[in-house]
Amino acid sequence: MNRGALLFAFNSPKYNYYDMAVATAKRINHFLDIPVTLVTDSESLPVKQSYQFDNIVMAPADKSNKRDWGLWYNKGRYRAYQFSPYDETILLDTDYMVNSDKLLTTFDLPTDFCCHDTTSFIMHPDVSQEVLSVYSFKTLWATVVTFKKTQRAKQIFDSLEMIQNNFDHYASIHGFIAATFRNDYALTLATRIVNGHTTPIEDVIPWNLLHVGKNTSVYKNKDDEFNTEYTVMFDNWNRGKIRKEYITIKDMDFHVMNKENFMELIHE
Amino acid sequence: MDTTSLIAEAKARFNHNSAKAYLKDKYDSKFIVADQTGLWRANLETLNFLNASSDEWVILIDTFNNPVRVNRVELLEKLNGTYKTVMESWYKEWIELEKKR
Repeated sequence: MNRGALLFAFNSPKYNYYDMAVATAKRINHFLDIPVTLVTDSESLPVKQSYQFDNIVMAPADKSNKRDWGLWYNKGRYRAYQFSPYDETILLDTDYMVNSDKLLTTFDLPTDFCCHDTTSFIMHPDVSQEVLSVYSFKTLWATVVTFKKTQRAKQIFDSLEMIQNNFDHYASIHGFIAATFRNDYALTLATRIVNGHTTPIEDVIPWNLLHVGKNTSVYKNKDDEFNTEYTVMFDNWNRGKIRKEYITIKDMDFHVMNKENFMELIHE
Repeated sequence: MDTTSLIAEAKARFNHNSAKAYLKDKYDSKFIVADQTGLWRANLETLNFLNASSDEWVILIDTFNNPVRVNRVELLEKLNGTYKTVMESWYKEWIELEKKR
């Protein structure tokens, strides 16, 4: 069984996802000791490459999605099954900061497909879990997906494609806004369709996905390439004033929602 | 700017409760062990049951709610090792955290 990680990186006018993918790939190699395949397009791939990916799969980006901050080329994640050269794959968002070997445990889970269903926000302990809509399901997260090359995993990715192509329809049924395509929502629905409209407990990674969310910034404590110690600073609004609060964290993976912050972390 | 200066300049306060919550999040996940086709949590309940039993083979409900027949001693050794390692690291970090009060 060969194992590896898969990253999708399509540069948008605002963010250089290729640079993010390189930084994340180096950390995957260092902490997980597995190869990384990149899915990208010719516009994102620089002529001179400082890092050697295990494989580079060239695929056109679907540029039809946008969100509040601009264009967002996140569609086409369903091609992960087709593009992964590995028997067992960790599909990661490029803005996921790997700081430990914890993700390797997902290969040992007795399932062929798993992702997170619960999140924690650093310094925001009481944030409620995201739902598709008030009368729909709790969201699964496409940030980290581990899958094996099985028929069921393929069906989930096929369903993901179907949902992406008919996102308005599913948004209408489940009562969420269709204007921005979300892989998290599509994944939630795809796994339910394939699993007889349930989410089997086996398909859930048994720990929380850690987010760095709003009003929160992360700073490296050391300038090493593979630093694992960070200071997390939070703007706590209290009676109309901001009070800065901080904690230090180490050896803990986290997902940085603020792309500028992630770029600062990899470029400092 | 280094983080120590950043904290001083921002007059930031160390948030003990958030740090405690982060530690729990971090170490909770490390108690999970895949062994003998089941997924286990190295918690006191499971350890106590395995310790208290004298049978070579026992059937346990794993974290996915599946009944799994396991070699008791092998699982006990593995979970015991995990529990000790994780708790020692957690305790060490907790002591560091307490110093920041």
